Amino acid sequence: MPLVRDQSNLAAADSDSLSPRLRWVLLGTFVALLALIFVSGAAATRTLREMHEQEQEARRAVASRAQTLSKLYVSIEVYNEDIGRYLGYPLERPDPLMRQQVDRLTSEIESQLDGYPDGRQPEEAALLKSIAELYRRHLALYRSAENAATSPGARGEILTLRTQLIDGSGEVNAWNGRQIQTNDETLLAQFSRLQASLTGSLSIALAGGLLLVVASMAYILRLERQTRSRYDELAQSRYELERLSSRLVDAQEEERRSISRELHDEVGQSLGALLVDLGRLSTNLPADTSEIHERIDHMKSLTERTVGTVRDIALLLRPSMLDDLGLVAALEWQGREVSRRSEMEVAVESANVSDELPDEYKICVYRLVQEALNNAVRHSRARNAKVRVAGSASAIEIEVRDDGRGFDPKRARGLGILGMEERVKRLGGSLAVDSAPGQGTVVKAELPLPVAAGTPA
Amino acid sequence: MKQTRVLLADDHTLIRAGLRLVIDQEPEFTVVGEASDGRQAVALADSLKPDIVVMDVGMPGLNGIEACRQIRDSMPDVQVVMLSMHSDEGYVLRALKAGARAYLLKDSAEADLTRAIRAASERKSFFSPAVGKVLLEDYMRTLQRTGAEDSYELLSPREREILQLVAEGKSSKEIAGLLNLSVHTVETHRARVMQKLNLRGIPELTLYAVRKGIIS
Repeated sequence: MPLVRDQSNLAAADSDSLSPRLRWVLLGTFVALLALIFVSGAAATRTLREMHEQEQEARRAVASRAQTLSKLYVSIEVYNEDIGRYLGYPLERPDPLMRQQVDRLTSEIESQLDGYPDGRQPEEAALLKSIAELYRRHLALYRSAENAATSPGARGEILTLRTQLIDGSGEVNAWNGRQIQTNDETLLAQFSRLQASLTGSLSIALAGGLLLVVASMAYILRLERQTRSRYDELAQSRYELERLSSRLVDAQEEERRSISRELHDEVGQSLGALLVDLGRLSTNLPADTSEIHERIDHMKSLTERTVGTVRDIALLLRPSMLDDLGLVAALEWQGREVSRRSEMEVAVESANVSDELPDEYKICVYRLVQEALNNAVRHSRARNAKVRVAGSASAIEIEVRDDGRGFDPKRARGLGILGMEERVKRLGGSLAVDSAPGQGTVVKAELPLPVAAGTPA
Repeated sequence: MKQTRVLLADDHTLIRAGLRLVIDQEPEFTVVGEASDGRQAVALADSLKPDIVVMDVGMPGLNGIEACRQIRDSMPDVQVVMLSMHSDEGYVLRALKAGARAYLLKDSAEADLTRAIRAASERKSFFSPAVGKVLLEDYMRTLQRTGAEDSYELLSPREREILQLVAEGKSSKEIAGLLNLSVHTVETHRARVMQKLNLRGIPELTLYAVRKGIIS
């Protein structure tokens, strides 16, 4: 048994040192998980905001480009038309109004080319540059055509350039359209990146959470197991304690019985035989040996006193009246004994007490009454005590009542009461001590009887 | 001269040997057997048919009081002298109720045994003097405590006379012969004594008489 206990103690010590560590690990994991969820949430929010801003920015850029381009386009269209019309007039009669118009358009186109939004892409810049180039060449041709006599070749070239100009602005427009698409694609890619990173974070959080749950469950289960095993241990040791104390009572009773028997059988018998011999000796002696008679009488009275003492000790250890006369007679005898030896008068009442009670019940009742009366004599200065024992089919009730000075049962609970309680409890009964200072004391006990022993004889 | 045949029953060999020596000193007594427990005592009483059984109260197996009851029930002619360590009334009364004639304390067995056997063989009661003393003390204390009147004072001289004779073990017929009264008158007196003293049965009456020192 001690071996097993040592092992379980070792196991307990081991888990004691492990428990705090595991607790911290679990707590750390939990905090890390929370942090992960928080950080990935914050990052996602920031990315979304950035994406939104970027999109706005791109939309704004595209819109302003488109606006500028459409204006440029319109201007170029109008310019082209006007140039055409202007060039279509006979050279000898140039229309000054038309000329003015073309000049105005020229400056407009220039300002529009200048006002094209910044941050151009290389491709875009190249396109714009080629438009500006075309325009300048066109303008140069137009100027030269206007100044010199316009040759049909130059005129043709102007028309070609005009077409090229229109195409160029169309290309810019198309590029712009493509740019929108590229932008959208970029956004989409960004968004899916975000999605992927969020999914990743969530997966990690989920996996971590699962891990945490599993670890916590394992931890809780282990704690539960530990608690249960501790509880079992406790219950076991309590059971053993009870068994031990009940065995103690048994052993004490057995020991007393055997000492009592030894005293009665060995010492008592020898003394008894000695008495008989002494008596015989004195009757057989001649009458004139008075000194020897005296000595023999002295020896006889000494032996008688010793017999009395041995008998009293034997009775205290094991009341032989329990065996000879039964419980009720033994209790009555005890009452008379206490009355004889103390200042307290004891009255014993009994009703329906079976003579067939098992020995341990007789002993229990007897010792209970003995202890209660002893307590009353020793501590309470009672003048009267009443013992009442009543049997029924299922139980036996014992009550010992005295008129002494009483005590507070909550504060003073001596070994005597504990001993009574112990005896009563091991037979499945209950004991109550009712007392208060100045009120006397009532000790009440109830013993349930085994089924067969309940019927009064 | 007719021999009084005695059966000894005690679980202690030494005690039996001592008692045997005492009894053998008297020429009219003879020990016919020894028993070491109650059951054996009953069996030997049945087979040996002794006049007297000297019986220890505390014996293993069947105790002396039960053995006495069984012997008296089946063999009313066999008288029982009880030997005991106890002078307590619980023992005395139970021994009387079981049919014992005499009650001896072991302390004084040697001195009183022959007197007790002789009394029992004449169907008279006998009690160790110490028994009467203890019983009287208990009785007086009870009287003091309860404040009751000593009921003995209530008896008339004739009733006291009859009480003593009944307690000594005499039958109504014998008493009638002794006192020159009719059996009916003796019975009436006896009933009145029982009523005045609040006693039930001869054993209680005998106990009372021992207690009062009327007989010993």
